[in-house]
Order: sequence, then structure tokens, then C-alpha cells
Amino acid sequence: MEGTTSADEFIPAGLAALGIEADEVDLAVMGAVHGLLWPPIQELLALDTEEVEPERCPDLSRAPE
Amino acid sequence: MSVAALDLGLRAQAAAIAAGEIDPSELLDAALTRIEQRNPALNAVVETFPERSREMLAAAPPGQLHGVPIVIKDEWPLPWRAQRFGAAELMAPTAPRESGPYRALRDAGAVIVGVGNMHELGAGSTGNTSYYGAAHNPWNTERCPGGSSSGPAASVAARLVAGAVGADGLGSVRFPAAYCGLTGLKPTFGRSAMEGHHMAPLTTLIVSGPLCADAGDCRLLGSALFGEELVAGDAAGLRIGIVRDDVSEDVTAEVGAACEAAIETLRAETGGEVREISLPDLPAAALAAIMITNSESMSGTRPEQLNRLDPELSPIARGTLKYRMLLPAAATAQALRVRAMMRRRLAAIFEEVDVIAWPTIPAPAPPLDSPLVELPSGTHTADQANVRGAALANLTGIPSISMPVGLSDERLPLALQLQAAWGENELLLDAAEALERGNERRWVESLPPLAEAEPTEA
Repeated sequence: MEGTTSADEFIPAGLAALGIEADEVDLAVMGAVHGLLWPPIQELLALDTEEVEPERCPDLSRAPE
Repeated sequence: MSVAALDLGLRAQAAAIAAGEIDPSELLDAALTRIEQRNPALNAVVETFPERSREMLAAAPPGQLHGVPIVIKDEWPLPWRAQRFGAAELMAPTAPRESGPYRALRDAGAVIVGVGNMHELGAGSTGNTSYYGAAHNPWNTERCPGGSSSGPAASVAARLVAGAVGADGLGSVRFPAAYCGLTGLKPTFGRSAMEGHHMAPLTTLIVSGPLCADAGDCRLLGSALFGEELVAGDAAGLRIGIVRDDVSEDVTAEVGAACEAAIETLRAETGGEVREISLPDLPAAALAAIMITNSESMSGTRPEQLNRLDPELSPIARGTLKYRMLLPAAATAQALRVRAMMRRRLAAIFEEVDVIAWPTIPAPAPPLDSPLVELPSGTHTADQANVRGAALANLTGIPSISMPVGLSDERLPLALQLQAAWGENELLLDAAEALERGNERRWVESLPPLAEAEPTEA
């Protein structure tokens, strides 16, 4: 993701790829949200979960088996 | 007679009706009058429908909530009204219909007296943004009532009704309960009525839940939503787990002191013990919940829909919806691994303790026009700060309850949250009742200025 993590690059590229239109207000909001969410997203992606076995169709009303 | 009854709790209203001491039609009229009088300052109730309410009362069975007026969040359809989700556009098809919470209330004999305001698209912990305009906190109408179940909470805190149904996908029952000085239960995932919610087929996080003055009233309203009695027990010997980390300790001094005192009161009242536990990666858990709810709520959204959004959607909602389409799938896949990891960690922790306690909110209700909070770590948006302690329960499915534990120097409510193992909804209510006994019901009986106003003349 290097080089595409700043709002200036990531957001216009993503919008263009999906064909989503955005005005200046949209872009300002998206930039602010990106500033809040992107750092923790990077931390989430960096978390070592290799040893974690995913739950297949977990029943969230119960403890994991 | 019905005037004073409006200031009773839910259990007392139901009991007085059952005993013939209150005429439920007079109580309904009194509630409608009080909504007319107090709601303009709150914007808590966005719609009433007196004829529909009277029809519900006329047909009400002799259930445990017979004749009791209730407010329901603008998140479920009613047979005569589609939900708006607090927004000009819902991004999902809606229509008037019976929903699970509607049926649960109807079958318990309750009377839906109005629809409660909510944060736009359920996407905020403050309640300061809505298609209907912001809801206001009865403790200080310049402050946020909490979201997204803003109207239900403000309605109960201002004693428009004694009980309200909210929904909790990332803390949306617990935040407004905390900001408004109420008790709010986020049930175990999948246990409370959800049918008819536009997200019901997809969500793995959202549940319906009661907002009331105290735990006993939440037990009564929760029993209706569960479709079975939430049996009272006791919380004797309660093993209370506490976490000392960057998240749980990043709270204002007032919040920290009130929660510490409440935990000690709960320990003493139950004859229990407090154990320090380790629960790492809470920030990752919060973001994982956000990523999962994002993928579930955007499912089915087509890019071209975002090019013709209703112009009455707020600028924040418009920009955020578009941004959410861009979030990487790899983060959602990672979020599912974090969910599995946290569920296993919690299962192990609940072998050692019965509940985990930490503050519901790191700071009391912020101003409506600037929902920021000052914490030891700096200035944050209330949403950023609040979600850190709430999302774990939604991510993993465990139940959680928020209860009032004090007032700030500015006379704004402070709140403690307890979380328990899957299915232990009753234990949380038992523990909350023990805390109420321990503090002599001081906080559940504290009234906001707006509810201390001259009673309604029926």
C-alpha cells in the first residue's frame, strides 16, 4: 500500500476506480475520516494474527468452541 | 393520579395498572401531554400517533407491560410507519410492517406512544446529527444525549416514558444510557427481538436493548424483548475483572474516581472480589468491529447509488458513505481474525472472573455543537473515544450493561459498564441491582432538571 495511503492519493484513486463522484465537501469529509481511520487500519493490518485460527461461521450468541 | 404515575418507574407503572390503581388510557393521555410539554426542548420524540396508540391499548393483552407507554427508536418499522434510521435516505428498502420489537411490545401489552430520535444512520455516539435535528440531553440541553439511541434515552431521562427500546451495534444503547444517567442493556447477540430491522439478515453486531431508569425496569422490558423472563438471581461472590491499560485509564479524573468507587461498592455489596486481568489489543478490537459493521452495512450498496444520494443527508453522512466504499477488504478479513482471537481470550477470562468492569464513557456528555472530549491522552472526538470501550461486546457477542455511578461537577451523569460471558444477561442485571443497593439507589433516582419540572396536569 506504500504510496497510496495519503488522502490525496488514496481517495481520488478509489473514487475514480469505482466511478463515485465527490464534490469538495465530500472530499473534505473523506479526508478527515481517512485521517482518523487509516492509521488504526494500518495497525490492524500489522497485527500478527498468523497463529489465530479463524472461526468458521461463529455463533456469536455462544462462547467459541 | 396519572400525572404522578408518569414519574414512576416501569415496574411500578405496570404494577399499578395491574392493580387497577391507574387507568392506562389516562396514563397514555398524560404521556402524550407530557411529550407536548417537554419534548420541544429535547427533540427526543420525532413522531406520535395517538390514534394508533389508543388502538394498541384497546387491543392490549394482559401481559407484563399491559398499558405501559413505551418509546421505540426510529430503527424498526411499525405497521403504520417505516423507519427512517434518523436519515433522509436509508440505503436500504423500507416499508411499514410488523417488526420483532413491535411484536414483543404488543404481545406484552405495551403501548407504543412515540418514535425516538436517533443519530443519522446510527453512525455516531453523540446524537447531535439527525434528519430530525439533534436530540438534547435532559441534564443539560446544550449537551449531547448520546447516540445512536438518542431519543429513547432522552425520553426516559426526562420521564416522558419509563422505558424505551434502543439498538446497540457499537455501543448505541450504552452511550446514551451513560450520557443521560440511565441503565441500558446490550444483550447477548441474537437473544433480543431484531426481526424487521433492515440489517437483521446481515448484521453480526446489532441487537435491540432496553433503556430504563434502573436495572429492574430493564429486566422487565428486556424480558419482553427476549420473549422470556429474565429471572432475578443474586450476584453473591461476584468476581470483578478490571483492566488497567491505555484505554481503560484514558478517562477524566471524575469518571475514573466514580467508576473506582462503584466497583468497590459492587465488590462490597456482593461480597465478591476484584481481580486485575489482561486484555490486550482493545484498540484493534474496536477497529475490527468498525470494519465488520462497515462491510455488513455497505453490503448491496452500488457505487452509482452514491452518486444520487438524497441532498438532505448530512455532509458528514455523504462523505463517510463514499469513504466507506473504499475500505480495504484485507482489513475486514483481518478483523474476523481479531474477532476470533478476542472471543477466545474472553472465554478464558470468563473462567476466572464473572464480569469485566470499566467506564462506559471516558468523559461526560460533550457540547452538542462541539462533541470533543479532553482526556489524559489529548483531545478526541467523542466518537473516537467512546467506541474504544464499547465495541468489544459487539465484536464478540457478549452482553454488556451501563449504569449510572455519579454526576460530574457540571452535574452530568457518569457511568460504569459491566460485561459478562455469553448468555449471562441476568447476571449483569443482578450485578446492576446489587450496585443500586450498595449506593442506596442514589444515582438511578437522580433526576435531570428537565424531569424535575412541574408535573403534567392530565
